[in-house]
Order: sequence, then structure tokens, then C-alpha cells
Amino acid sequence: MKSLTGYLVVFLLILFISVPLASLFFASDLIGNQFIEAGSSLSFWKDAYLRQVIYFSLLQATLSTLLSLGLGVLVARAFARYGQFPFRSIILSLFGLPLVIPAVVAVLGIVSVYGTQGWLPLGGKLYGLTGILLAHLFFNLPLAVRLLLPVWTTMPAQYWRIGSQLGLSNYQQWKHIEWPALREVLPSIGVLIFMLCLTSFAVVLTLGGGPKSTTLEVAIYQSLRFNFDPAQAVILAILQLCISILIALIAARFIRLPDVEPDLNLHISTIPNSNKLPAFIIILGAVIFVATPLLAMLVDAIKGPIIQVLNDKNLWKAAGFSLLIGLSAAFISISLAWVLLAASAEKAYQGRKNIAQLLEFSGSVIYVVPPLVIGTGLFILLSQLVNVFEWAILIVILINGMMGLPFVIRTLGAAMRQNTQRYQRLCQSLDITGWQRFKHVDFPLLRKPLGLSAALVTAMAMGDLGVIALFGTPETATLPLLLYQRLAAYQMPQAAVIAVFLLASCLAAFWLLERGIGGFKKELRQNASR
Amino acid sequence: MLVINNLKFSYPDSTDTMCFNLQVNQGEILSLIGASGSGKTTLLNLIAGFNLAASGEIIIDGNDITHLPIAKRPVTTVFQAHNLFPHLDVFTNIAIGIKPSLKLNQEEKEKIDNALENVGLSNFATRQPAQLSGGQRQRVALARVLVRKQKILLLDEPLAALGPAMREEIIELIKTLVKEKAMAALFVSHQPDDARIASQRIAFMHQGRVLDIGDKQSILENSSHKEIQDYLGG
Repeated sequence: MKSLTGYLVVFLLILFISVPLASLFFASDLIGNQFIEAGSSLSFWKDAYLRQVIYFSLLQATLSTLLSLGLGVLVARAFARYGQFPFRSIILSLFGLPLVIPAVVAVLGIVSVYGTQGWLPLGGKLYGLTGILLAHLFFNLPLAVRLLLPVWTTMPAQYWRIGSQLGLSNYQQWKHIEWPALREVLPSIGVLIFMLCLTSFAVVLTLGGGPKSTTLEVAIYQSLRFNFDPAQAVILAILQLCISILIALIAARFIRLPDVEPDLNLHISTIPNSNKLPAFIIILGAVIFVATPLLAMLVDAIKGPIIQVLNDKNLWKAAGFSLLIGLSAAFISISLAWVLLAASAEKAYQGRKNIAQLLEFSGSVIYVVPPLVIGTGLFILLSQLVNVFEWAILIVILINGMMGLPFVIRTLGAAMRQNTQRYQRLCQSLDITGWQRFKHVDFPLLRKPLGLSAALVTAMAMGDLGVIALFGTPETATLPLLLYQRLAAYQMPQAAVIAVFLLASCLAAFWLLERGIGGFKKELRQNASR
Repeated sequence: MLVINNLKFSYPDSTDTMCFNLQVNQGEILSLIGASGSGKTTLLNLIAGFNLAASGEIIIDGNDITHLPIAKRPVTTVFQAHNLFPHLDVFTNIAIGIKPSLKLNQEEKEKIDNALENVGLSNFATRQPAQLSGGQRQRVALARVLVRKQKILLLDEPLAALGPAMREEIIELIKTLVKEKAMAALFVSHQPDDARIASQRIAFMHQGRVLDIGDKQSILENSSHKEIQDYLGG
């Protein structure tokens, strides 16, 4: 039964990916003569704008990745060398914030610090590559630190003792102890960050500043919503898809994928002969870099027209839409992931590991297809049948729900597999099945990863600007779209208040769901009434 | 009484077919010994219904249970580990063996109290599994065996994680339970000494078959089978 429902979900996923893609390819065939000369080379490559878009997409993603990784290694190493210190866990929690912060909110924070009226004004330079790199660094430096730090926390203390006895210098420690361990994880983290930057939409849309600094994702949006040129959107979406698949194929070579939530509080071995002053300066610099945009935005919001914004019924309508999208997307992601993982765990338990892996993998395939590509396909398809803008919320829920699936699978998969391995036979022998099994066994044992999954997908969907920008209208605006509209109209004080409101909503939803489902107590207990 | 007749099984990735034949009487513990992969746990899984036999019969008190679903078989199992759900207290871990809905009547609650008393854990009802020693956890699993009142008890290396003193204590408890409740028990062990203490009869498993079965002296001390001598290090 579980297998059957699992296969049904795989079929739905295939449908969800293939129908929009087929619509794209079908559309490209119809409009092909505009770009493709029969029997000859692809003419779109001769289009200077397209060449520029592809070049800039790859350039900004490469530079963002190199900067994030390079500085990430430096900061993670500083954390490891400084060892335990007060506020360490608070700082690492702060570094977890960019995972939940909507991109458009972070952009406002960046503008508050580095904009013309900001604390450290960069002037016109902010709009373009510099601004995009700063925003991507704001998101991905903390992510890199969180993913890299376990390299040091899991390093055996004996390495440092041996290094000490051998009299290794700082450089020799790096060369013989740290680098070999780092080398194992750097490619997979690098690919992850590259993919995030390549598909980054809100940052490039708001900080891009013109055709010279446009990526494929933003160009697709502009083709559909401003230039009314579906033909160009189709070509751009297909290009984006090809690049994403290429990156995914490269990523498939790296088996060691980073954890969604690594354990950062493991004991760190004391590293002998480590000079703490440089480490302190590096950590302080990183904290200032991550905290100032948030702080500047908060200050702007406090000085802004709070009452006026809060009295605007559009804000509450947008908040309602955002919450609806967030919760519905989480429900879809978790339901589909649960069915897939249950089928996969059952197959693994039966010893059919290949089918088990295939079932689990099928839920992650969607990650290769950028949401805007799916969105474009659906846009092209549905615009021939209905008024797509009337279906905006439903489409946004569906796409965000599907896009959350890989995150839920990463968070829930291992725990569910372990649960089945440990308790499947016991449950079978005690005849604990169906609802009783979910209530008394599965839910209590899996509520922590379930809570984290729900919180992650809800916060991500609430903060998403990509798909809603494509389908949204002023009547169906979510909080990120409302914020973007204020930013585009240069209503910075209002934008600051909306940004803080959106951030607070995302954090509150994250906290309530993580704790509400995951449990407020550390140990979860359930007892029969006596 | 448990009778296994020509019970055949093979794993999907293997061409070897296992074939089992044996008999266990009421009130008896038959120990199964043999090297890893010899088929001990597979036999238990077939009896419990976790694996399905290709052919043959499993007869319990004259009734063929070979094709019954797991929950309908008059069988209860104690595993090496993970017998208890970590989030349920001792009382509830036993209660879930009576009614998965956990809606118990007074009589059932008293049964659980009696079972806990029988295994020497009457003051442990509200403890969590993490607060118990390895031996105490296996006692709780045995208390659940008591309340479930099934005819067949399958013990899949239940002592593997315990120290020597605790092993003997649990074996004595199992022997008492099996005798008092007139169950037929199959006891899988990697330790010939445990088998010696637990049973009068021992079956030696080799390559998916019962190579020899008989009195414990004949198997552990006087066997002419080279495989048994090799296994015992003789």
C-alpha cells in the first residue's frame, strides 16, 4: 500500500515537472524560427543581450561562491581556533538567520547600510555586481560557516596533539590537518552555494540595475511581465534549465552532501599554539557584516511610518496571503515527502535498496528545475486556457510546495529510515498500524524533524518573491511582493516597516511551527493514563 | 507445540534455499546456535511472519499459521534491541502490547501491574526506557510477553547487549515464564554457554538448515559434526 502511494507521488512529480517543461519545449518549437535557424547553429547565441545575460549569471554566481567559500573558511577556522567563548552559540544562531530571512528583506537591509542614505554609502556602485555580491555574501557566508564548522568540530583531538608533538607551525597545521579534511567538503558546499546564487531572483531583481547586470531568472521575469515576449522567456528558461542540469550532474559526483542542520555545538578540541587575536578580529568582522543590515533596517523601520503602514489593509491582506501560501506549501511538501519516504523506508527495510534510493531521489529531482522555469512553463500553458493572474495564489502554493520537497526529504529522510529499521518489526508484531502507529510511534519519534521541515518550508514560501512576482497582481500581493512594490516606488520608510513586519512574521511562523510541532520540551514523553 | 515442516525460503539476492525442520514442545526452550548467516534469525522471522516462506508449514497446536498475517499469529518476539519505544514510559510500553489505542480498562491495567511485579520492576512503571539498564529494558519486554499471552515466544539474541551476571538472571526469568505460561520458545544465541543454561535441547544451524538437533550434551560436547566442532572451537 505504502509503495503504491509512493509510486503515485512519483507520478505526480513527473507530471508536475514534465508538463511545464513540455509546454516550454512545445512553445519553443512554435516560435523556433525566431531563434533557431533550420539545420544550422543556434542563432540566439548571436544575440548580444542573451550572451550578456548568460555571462553575467555565471560570473556573479562564480564570484559569490568563491567569496562565500573563501571568507567562510576563514571565519569557520577562526571559530574553531577561538574555541568556546561567551555568546558563541548566540552568534552561530545569528548566522542561522539568513536561512530564514526573505531575500527581499535582506536586500533592504543591504540598501540601509550601503545605499546612498546608508551608514556606509557605496553610491551608485551598490546597484550592479557589487550589490549582488554583497547580498549573496550576506546570505551565503553564514551558510558556509555553519556547513564548514563541523569539519573542525568532528576532527579528532589526537590530530592536534600529534601536530603539537611534531612541532607543526600554523601553516603546517593547515596543510597537513585542516586542508585535507576541508578538501572533502568544499566541492559539495561550493556547488550548493553556486546553485543558490545562480537561481537567486529577488537580489538580482532589486540590486541588478539594468540589462548589464541581469541574470537568466530575472531576464525570464522581465520578458514575461515587462517586454511581453514569451518567445524570449522560453529560450531563457530552457537555457536556465540546461545550466541547472549541468550543475546537478557535476554535483552528483559529490556524495558527501552537507546537512540541513549540522550540529554546531559539539565539543571543539583545544588547538594548541593558536593565536586568539586574529581569530577574534575575524569573528567580530563577520558578526558586524551579518548584523549591520538587520540592525540598520530595524532602525529605519523604527523611524518609519509604523502606524500608517500597520493601518493599511493591504498589509494585512498580503500577510494573510503569505501565511496561506506558507502553511499550504508546507502541508503539500510534508504530505508528499511523508508518502515518498514511507515507501522508500519500507523498500529499504525489505532489502530493496535500489528502489528505496530511487523513490527518495525522485523527491529531490525537482531541485534541479528552477522554480521560475516551472513557473514560466505553467504561465505559457495556462495563459492559453485561463486568466493566470486569477490563479496566482494556487499556482504559487503548488510551486512552493513542490520546491520545499527536497528540503523536507533532507530533514526527515534519515530519521524516518532509522525509525523503520528500529521499530518496523516491533510495530508489526504488536499490530500497531495506521492512525495508532502515527499517533503513538511515528509522530512522537519524528516530531522534531517534522517541526523543522514545516518551519523551513513555511518561512521559505512566505518570503518567496520569485513565483509571486511572475503571477501576482496588486490584488493578490503577498508581503514580499508588497515590499518589492514599495522598494520599486522608492518608498523606503514604508518598505523598512514592511520588511521588519515580514521578517517578524517569518521568524514567528518558523519558531511557532518548529516548537509547536517539534515540542517545547527537550524530551518528548507520552504516557497512557493510569 | 510448534512444528516446522520443510519450511523453505531464499533471499531475493541469493540462489541458496534455506529449509527448516524442527519441533518445540509446550513449556520448552529450544536454543538455536550457529555462525552468523546460518539462518537462525531468518527462521524466527519466518515464524513471526516478517518474511514469507516459499513453501512448507508452520503448525502451532495443530493449526497451520504459515499464511496468516503477522498480527494474527500467536507469536511474540523479544529482539536484541529496540524492544521499547523511547518516548513511552515502562507502563505504556507494555500497554501498547495489549491495545495499540492505549484505552485500557481496569482489569488490563492490573494485568500490567502484575506483569511488572513478575519481572521485578513494580516500582519502575513511570520510568522512561533511557532511565533503565539494558537488563531492565529486556525485563520490560518480557513483561509485555506476559501480558500478551501468546503460545510461541521468539527470543532473537535478547542477551547480546548484557553482561554475564545479567545474562544468567534474564535466562532464569525466561525459563520461569516459559514454564509457568506453558509457551514454546525458540532462543537464538551466539553464546553456547547461554544456550546450555537456557535449554535441555539445542539445534545447530548451518547454511540455512538444522544440521543437528538434540540433547545439549550431545550437541555441545559429543558432536561428531566437524562444523559444530569448528564453531565451538574444539
